[in-house]
Amino acid sequence: MTRTTIAISVLLGVVTAPLAAETTRWVERTKVDVRAGRGSYYEIVETLVKGDPVDILKAEEKWVSVRTQAAKTGWIYEAALKAAPVPPGSSDFLKSAPGDISTSRTAASQGAKGIYAQGYARQRGYDYGVVTWIETHQPDRSQMEAFLQDSGEPSGGAR
Amino acid sequence: MMARVFAVTAVGVGLVVLGCQSRGGDVSGVGNSIISGVRQTVNRINPDDVRGATTELDEPEEIELGRAVSSALGSRYKLLRDDPLTRYVALVGNAVAQQSDRPDLRYYFGVLDTTEVNAFAAPGGYVFITRGTLLLMRDEATLAAVLAHEIGHIALRHHVETIKTEKQAALTKGIGASALRVGSGYIRGAAGSAATAPLHSPLMNVLADGAFNAVLKGFSRAEEEQADAVGVKYTARAGYDPAGLRDFLRAVEDGGKQPAKSGFVAKFTATHPGTDERLRDQDNQLKTMPAGGRRAATRFEQRAMKPPSPPAR
Repeated sequence: MTRTTIAISVLLGVVTAPLAAETTRWVERTKVDVRAGRGSYYEIVETLVKGDPVDILKAEEKWVSVRTQAAKTGWIYEAALKAAPVPPGSSDFLKSAPGDISTSRTAASQGAKGIYAQGYARQRGYDYGVVTWIETHQPDRSQMEAFLQDSGEPSGGAR
Repeated sequence: MMARVFAVTAVGVGLVVLGCQSRGGDVSGVGNSIISGVRQTVNRINPDDVRGATTELDEPEEIELGRAVSSALGSRYKLLRDDPLTRYVALVGNAVAQQSDRPDLRYYFGVLDTTEVNAFAAPGGYVFITRGTLLLMRDEATLAAVLAHEIGHIALRHHVETIKTEKQAALTKGIGASALRVGSGYIRGAAGSAATAPLHSPLMNVLADGAFNAVLKGFSRAEEEQADAVGVKYTARAGYDPAGLRDFLRAVEDGGKQPAKSGFVAKFTATHPGTDERLRDQDNQLKTMPAGGRRAATRFEQRAMKPPSPPAR
């Protein structure tokens, strides 16, 4: 390796190391959804759990475009990330579940998924079907995008 | 039937809740049995499952509590299973929610089939509005304002602070302390895989009962004012006329002068005498904001005022 090459390598090292540190963030919340767009109505690309690292690609209006360890890209709300490594963690409800749930990364990433709320509803005599119906009758991404493009006024036009 | 109107102030929202007994049982009156149940359950917890719980409440827990409270609300009231109307309310709600302080939370919206003027914010992004509230409205900006107020409670984590306080109280007062000390504890529900079968968590049940009562009882005056203030901002950011909340409060007030509606509003004003102050606050806040924004009265009339659709499955 020539002296010049070494010099360039050192220079690159000096330049890229801080850059890499600046563009890596760690999930600070128990569970975070990486979405296809800047909004909670966009499809979930991947679900991450506390402590997972992501590479920041760009930032727009409090959302950041990220690349995950699984090489998937999407958007995360900036406040869900931290600039320093975060130890893993889980919910108290999840902690209380059987071992195969409490220790399962998959289960943690999915949240409780209603299993405790269903148990609560059953015990109290409430109708959990209400929740199921609501969760399955919400607008999808295309409906939201069309709605946001329509002012709703007779003259029409986007906002 | 419900006996008490806690209205809303929420939208101050004209939350008018009549009565205080629920079909699912008055949760406030079963505290002792719940505590007893907790202790009995804890006795059956395997020591190997002991894990420390904290007084913190993370988002998955908040969402799970939101589902529990929603099931309770849907049992106290009847959910209107009108797909087009529900999706329309959700479109307006999501447009506002994306401008809130928690735009990354997934929000769900439902319509309750009652003429009571009322709206509810359950933890974790679950928002309900009654058919009676929709009937008081004339345009989409007003709907956006009412939903924005409820979203404000969620975005500002008003439930979370209340629930955390309950969790802390459970520790200090010894209510359910054993459950907290050993973790939530669980009981398997119906047969099925551990990942999908309903699970009974004593801690979950205690906190869900508390959250449900808190939703019915309403938020503090300070929290209502905060939700009013941020809700108007969310509404304006979404492009709506920010005067929607003021207009709705006026509609609630005017409703008191109409014989057919006076019963609701009389109770509302009796239990929540702050409507005048809130209207004044709205007038003051609106002076600081740019005038204008869309009302979308035609779309509201077409999509919210039409006859109910056949029940959707």
